[in-house]
Amino acid sequence: MDRDSILAIVIGQVREVVPDLEAQPISGGDAMADLGINSIERSEIVMNTLEALGLDLPMVQTHGPRNLGELADLLHAKLKRT
Amino acid sequence: MAIAAGIEDLNVYGGSACLDVRELCVHRGLDVARFENLLMREKAVALPCEDPVSFAVNAAKPLLDAMGEAERARIEMVVTCTESGIDFGKSLSTYVHHYLGLGGNCRLFEIKQACYSGTAGLQMAVNFVLSGTSPGAKALVIATDLSRFALADAAAIQEWAYSEPSSGAGAVAMVVGDAPHVLQIDPGAYGNHGFEVMDTCRPGPDTEAGDADLSLMAYLDCCERAYRDYARRVEGADFRSSFAYLCFHTPFGGMVKGAHRHLMRKLYKAPPAEIEADFDRRLGPSLAFGQRVGNTAGGSVFVGLAGLLESAELAGPCRVGMFSYGSGCCSEFFSGVVTPDGQRRLRARGIGAELDRRHRLSLEEYELLLRGEQVIRFGQRDVAIDPGAVPAAWAALQGSGRLVLEGMAGYHRQYRFV
Repeated sequence: MDRDSILAIVIGQVREVVPDLEAQPISGGDAMADLGINSIERSEIVMNTLEALGLDLPMVQTHGPRNLGELADLLHAKLKRT
Repeated sequence: MAIAAGIEDLNVYGGSACLDVRELCVHRGLDVARFENLLMREKAVALPCEDPVSFAVNAAKPLLDAMGEAERARIEMVVTCTESGIDFGKSLSTYVHHYLGLGGNCRLFEIKQACYSGTAGLQMAVNFVLSGTSPGAKALVIATDLSRFALADAAAIQEWAYSEPSSGAGAVAMVVGDAPHVLQIDPGAYGNHGFEVMDTCRPGPDTEAGDADLSLMAYLDCCERAYRDYARRVEGADFRSSFAYLCFHTPFGGMVKGAHRHLMRKLYKAPPAEIEADFDRRLGPSLAFGQRVGNTAGGSVFVGLAGLLESAELAGPCRVGMFSYGSGCCSEFFSGVVTPDGQRRLRARGIGAELDRRHRLSLEEYELLLRGEQVIRFGQRDVAIDPGAVPAAWAALQGSGRLVLEGMAGYHRQYRFV
């Protein structure tokens, strides 16, 4: 799966977990915290994305990205390794 | 016959003052609607005349007062469990032992591993009882923690933002022995998971640092892996059916809800409606007291156990699954059996009524305490405390029989019962 498809899955999970953001345009440059997504919702988005990608990783290994694009990059790299 | 071991009696002390955290959120300009999903109501706030020792003694004294002289003499170990230490060498347990008037044939020490400390202390005591090296002996285990951070300016408050409402104070005292009325531990039924991670820490006596996302992720990873280790050891264990109730370490209710959802999805791919109903039924009761004291760190999983016994209706003996997590990190999933008899004993403690009696701080009083000008700092040598920093709270303490901190004389903490 390419990186942009992964980003699309991440953004899809953001919209599913936080329906309030319906009218908000979201792109790879956005950080979840800046979109007003709280820490519990952030972890749920990551968890759901891992599940959608079939990646079984410790959650702490997904820590570090500063925006959705960087998260997609990280997951893309992890997926290539499996 | 195998020895039974576990918690004979338990008490929660939630301080003498509290703050409505919804009011705090409005005051700080946080999003109240979203905040309510995090399941917090009040938090305990320590007064300058309260410290981890006074909290510990005030939690334990009602348990000791209910025991006969001969029973009290069988307490052969006092373990304090805390991340709010007051000295690098001398343990809190020495002060606690003194003010509770316990005998000299006693092991006194302190355990630290962030919010996991209480479980480490309990397991230490349970294994002491199970070892049979001193038949009939008891241990007193007290988890005591309070958050008291010196917030110098607006920037510090901003940085603290979402953890401010959840940072509480409280102590849980447990008598551990071979007549475990409150929680009979399932011997050998436990699982651990630990690894080095810098999620939250207390690098100085009045500071806390950390990363909320990393801490939440480490908690979720540990919850799953500690449970899997439990299931590896315990034949036939099933997260959904083996435990009538669950108690998790509770930084705030929303975090427990997230961890439960994570586990139910990972283990069973359970649909959202089933997860929600299961949470309400099996974990909801454990939040009763945690919502009123905030995060009590080392004691939090046992504040959950007390809340469960207070608010669930037990028809007969049933198994409880317990999950403890301490940043840094170490975690444990273990289990035990609770009974209607234990529930009756716990309810007789009147924990909820004691919480109702606390002084409700105004935001002005709270912010005065937050500046911390009247608080004894780590390493101070000689200092007297002005007990009237919050006059209404001080007045409410009079005649309560509780221990308060008066000051320091040559580094030695001075207390008295009021």
